[in-house]
Amino acid sequence: MKELPQTVFVVDDDDAVRNSLRLLLKSAGLISEVAASAQEFLSNYDAAHPGCLVLDVRMPGMSGLEMQHELNLRGATIPVIFITGHGDIPMAVEAMQHGAFDFLQKPFRDQELLDRVQRALSRDTEYRARLRQTGRIRERLASLSPREREVLDLVAQGKANKMVAGDLGVSQRTVEIHRAHVMQKMEAGSLAELVRMMMAVAPPQ
Amino acid sequence: MMRSHDSGGSADKQSDTERVRTIIVAGQASERTREVLRALRGFTNVIWPTSLEAALAQAGSGNAGCLVIADDLREEPIDEFLQEARELQRNLPIFVITDPDDVAEAVSAMRHGATAVIEIPPSYAVLCEEVSRAMQ
Repeated sequence: MKELPQTVFVVDDDDAVRNSLRLLLKSAGLISEVAASAQEFLSNYDAAHPGCLVLDVRMPGMSGLEMQHELNLRGATIPVIFITGHGDIPMAVEAMQHGAFDFLQKPFRDQELLDRVQRALSRDTEYRARLRQTGRIRERLASLSPREREVLDLVAQGKANKMVAGDLGVSQRTVEIHRAHVMQKMEAGSLAELVRMMMAVAPPQ
Repeated sequence: MMRSHDSGGSADKQSDTERVRTIIVAGQASERTREVLRALRGFTNVIWPTSLEAALAQAGSGNAGCLVIADDLREEPIDEFLQEARELQRNLPIFVITDPDDVAEAVSAMRHGATAVIEIPPSYAVLCEEVSRAMQ
């Protein structure tokens, strides 16, 4: 499947702002897509599309904060940079509490926005890489037999083969064989790596 | 140095939980800190550590209910202090008091782990509501 290009999405009802942001992003070598309203963006939004979102707070119809709420309901993880000419502290706090990546007041320097966009894109890249990694780990976990999974869970808790054998009521030799299969299927080079994989898919509380 | 703040005789407003856990107001002996302490005068369990070490020690204790950063305790942005407090107590509600309309500082505080930011002059109602909610 062809990968979608990393894109900066811009949602602002002001034509002049949209155009100037598009030109600015282009000058920095970034691909952008613009929308004049929240509805227009949401109707075309594809969560698989990597990138970040530059979102105006005040727009007719659905506001930027309402759109952020809608994206949260959809489970979207795209980093959102709010821009506004009429920001205040309660508004900024609300946006950040709901997971905004940043909140920038107009007028801002071009470089200020570009720096934030770059940081947001980096975060999106990192997040997607982590997601792919945990997806691969989950696939490997799914390939384990029920007994191998039991052995894995106990080994990951730090139990020695002898203790695992005792817990499962099998011989130590059987545990060793299951453990070897687990290491092979999970593509883990060491116990530490195996534990790291388990923590990546189910971090401790 | 650490001082207990006078209750102002409104202890009956507090729940049992509020009586046990501590509201830590971190700040210098500034007018802003005094404003915050006045706003929280209805709570009996307010302490006011005036050194960074004491504030962090209190924030890291199991008895901490919430932390209100009224002022920085050193000549640096609040962000580092916030990060240190957050590392000590991951789930501790932390409120930062900022200058009015300083959106950039508010955003920075939120990015560094503040639960909420309240601008000065602090609205007594907002501050008390946030603190009460945090103590529940």
